[in-house]
Amino acid sequence: MSGEHGQVSTRPVVDVHAIEEELAEVRWKLRPDGEMDEAAQHAAAEARANVLNLIVVVEDESGMEHVHRVLDGLSTHHPSRTLILLAQEERQAVKLEASVSAQTRTDSGHRVTTEQVLLHAHGQVAAHLASLVSPLLVPDLPVMLWWPGRPDFESQLFNELADLCDRLVVDTDDRGVEPGRDFPLLLNVARRRKARVAIGDFNWARLMPWRHLMAQFFDPPSVRSRLISAHGVTVWYGGEGSNAQALLLAGWVQSRLAAIGVPIPRELRYDPGLPHGVSRFMLYTGGEDGVSRFSIARAPGGRLTTQMRIGDQEQLGRTVAVAPRSADDLLAIELTIPGHDVLYEQALEAAVG
Amino acid sequence: MVIFGASGDLTARKLMPALYNLALNRYLPAGFSVIGVALTPWTEQEFKTHMSEAATKYSRTQPVDRSVWQSFAEGLHYVAMTFDDMDGYGKLAATLDRLDRERGTGGNRVFYFATLPQFFAVIVDRLGASGVARAGEGWKRIIVEKPFGHDLKSAQELNRAIHAVFTERQVYRIDHYLGKETVQNVMVFRFANGIFEPIWNRRYVDHMQITVAEDLGIERRGAYYEKAGALRDIFQNHLLQLLSIVAMEPPANFDAEVVRDEKVKVLRSIHPINVETDAVRGQYGPGWVAGEQVVGYRQEDQVAPDSKTETYVATRLFIDNWRWAETPFYLRTGKRLPNRASEIAIQFKKAPHLPFAKTAVQDTSPNLLVMRIQPHEGASLKIAAKIPGPVMRLRTVNMDFFYGSSFLIESPDAYERLVLDCMLGDPTLFAREDEVERAWTLVDGVEAGWAAQPPPALPNYAAGTWGPEAADALMERDGRRWRRP
Repeated sequence: MSGEHGQVSTRPVVDVHAIEEELAEVRWKLRPDGEMDEAAQHAAAEARANVLNLIVVVEDESGMEHVHRVLDGLSTHHPSRTLILLAQEERQAVKLEASVSAQTRTDSGHRVTTEQVLLHAHGQVAAHLASLVSPLLVPDLPVMLWWPGRPDFESQLFNELADLCDRLVVDTDDRGVEPGRDFPLLLNVARRRKARVAIGDFNWARLMPWRHLMAQFFDPPSVRSRLISAHGVTVWYGGEGSNAQALLLAGWVQSRLAAIGVPIPRELRYDPGLPHGVSRFMLYTGGEDGVSRFSIARAPGGRLTTQMRIGDQEQLGRTVAVAPRSADDLLAIELTIPGHDVLYEQALEAAVG
Repeated sequence: MVIFGASGDLTARKLMPALYNLALNRYLPAGFSVIGVALTPWTEQEFKTHMSEAATKYSRTQPVDRSVWQSFAEGLHYVAMTFDDMDGYGKLAATLDRLDRERGTGGNRVFYFATLPQFFAVIVDRLGASGVARAGEGWKRIIVEKPFGHDLKSAQELNRAIHAVFTERQVYRIDHYLGKETVQNVMVFRFANGIFEPIWNRRYVDHMQITVAEDLGIERRGAYYEKAGALRDIFQNHLLQLLSIVAMEPPANFDAEVVRDEKVKVLRSIHPINVETDAVRGQYGPGWVAGEQVVGYRQEDQVAPDSKTETYVATRLFIDNWRWAETPFYLRTGKRLPNRASEIAIQFKKAPHLPFAKTAVQDTSPNLLVMRIQPHEGASLKIAAKIPGPVMRLRTVNMDFFYGSSFLIESPDAYERLVLDCMLGDPTLFAREDEVERAWTLVDGVEAGWAAQPPPALPNYAAGTWGPEAADALMERDGRRWRRP
């Protein structure tokens, strides 16, 4: 995917008005060359596109490359005013630098200009970066906070940014995240009395094919009636890292069934020999023909296979292809969801319980 | 034009750059002259040098055209005097006469009161007693800077003092907000477009929020601010002016008296403010603004360490008329808020019924029309749109109009417009006697209510936050929230 990139300026500025002026200037420089008549200037002025404010918190320079890669892919779906915060409170010398850049992309057939501000802070000021973020947000657009890695839930920076944003996007599959400790913290963010923040999770989008397939078992009314007699869910997972995916998937089934008055227990089974993530997902129900089993399993080549056994009868299964999703895809999905994702928050709540 | 307080900040930052730009755009007649009057013992040449520096530094058009400036500066004169010195007014009269003869100013005079407010009455008195206010042919007008009084009583006294010498038609009370292009555009928006006025009423509008937020503290104005506070400094003038423009009935025409009659009607219709339920005051403590650590109000220069002065006000107002009955207007202003923003936000009522199938993720925020006065001057309308995809998901999107990208001409400064209007004899954008007095009546009501109550524990908001919790509670009680401008 090749876009026309215009990294124009990295002059350090810290004054908010100066940053805004710099952005305006950078946008201007990106416009088509040559003398423009008034109509052309109007057209160029409109090329600036923002559908949201995106705040990204990066803990150290090594995380920047990943973030830039994701944002690059994102800009065509979600042109935004992006504020990248490199906040390093633990570093001694107080430092505050800002640089701005704008990018114009033509992939979509339109000239789309997006803006980026990098704020780099050391020392005490890093904890108070929210005070600089606030005046830089474009009014009336949703504010998304993407925190790669484990959010520092107790920090001043996190809490002040959470006050500003409409949606917090995390990846609970990240190595730093411990579900036992962090799921309740995440849930608390969604339930703050003041400024309730919606939560988005890359893991939730990753689990989407598993959820779709499980739900589709119960599309026929004759099968759906078995949900009343559901009595257990088991999720197998493997590899290194956390059991966050398995917990969320089980929590999802539990919360949906609890909503129709069917509380069921969950079982998580760990197998170190399996690759990372969920490898098998099974729901058990009772019913007239005896115990039934609905199962989805990972198959080679990025596929999922389904199996349904009702009583002694093995039903027709199928295999579907699931393309792996890149981080920018996952982030794009999260940014499309308006407001609270009730299903996710209830799944998270069930996973905590 | 005679500027009293010619060595002050306002003259340097606003008046002189405004006059220069008027000259640059050929709005001033050839003989236009300025007589600066102040205590500072400058010579005429020193005055010219200072004014030249001011225009160079503060003019919105750069660089300053030296030959235009030279030509304009030939009309600059200076009289050093105290404002109560009768001999000084004799010198002033002689200078004015000379200019009438030499430059053909024809007896037309604008007396601009750019001094501290305590000098307004004495200057008026001396202008009257010395005969300068009436001498010769031509018109005589005065421009009075804000604050116009500090309560109803003092405003009435000042009005009486002025009317002993000048008639109301000669008096131009300035509120520079009214000179802003975007404020005037509110009237154009309402009365030149057919589609808004039919929904501009209690049936379609849920509520309005008017915000004048400043990220700055009180700068070096501690002594003044201690006595004024946010209620007198901003609410009494800017906020109530914005309110009356956005809520007034359509005037039959744009004659000054017709427009001002409609604005005063709004002020008269405001229900007395119950301070217990409808007014919140706050004062900022230390905090962080735009990445910078700042002191609290009580630590500012010339501020008492136990000061009770409010730096934040939020109120809920009701306008008792057919158009607005029971529609709340939320007004707020404050110092050291997270950003500088002045805007009027009109929140319309929700769609009465949503015919779309229920989806797991729901969010339907009502339509919102925001008129931004500063920064990013313009207007935007929030509407719901479908997110592309197989599922019915809605998201709000903005239809934006930015002044800067629709009109590539630079807007004149508010002072240019207002000074010119005064010289042309159009007082539409100036506050009338009854308007000012009515605004003070409202403010006095709030002050009296507050005086009868123990003040809240101050400071009650950290610099860089959106005001005290009580202000949020004021909205939450009605099931609403303040916007993030």
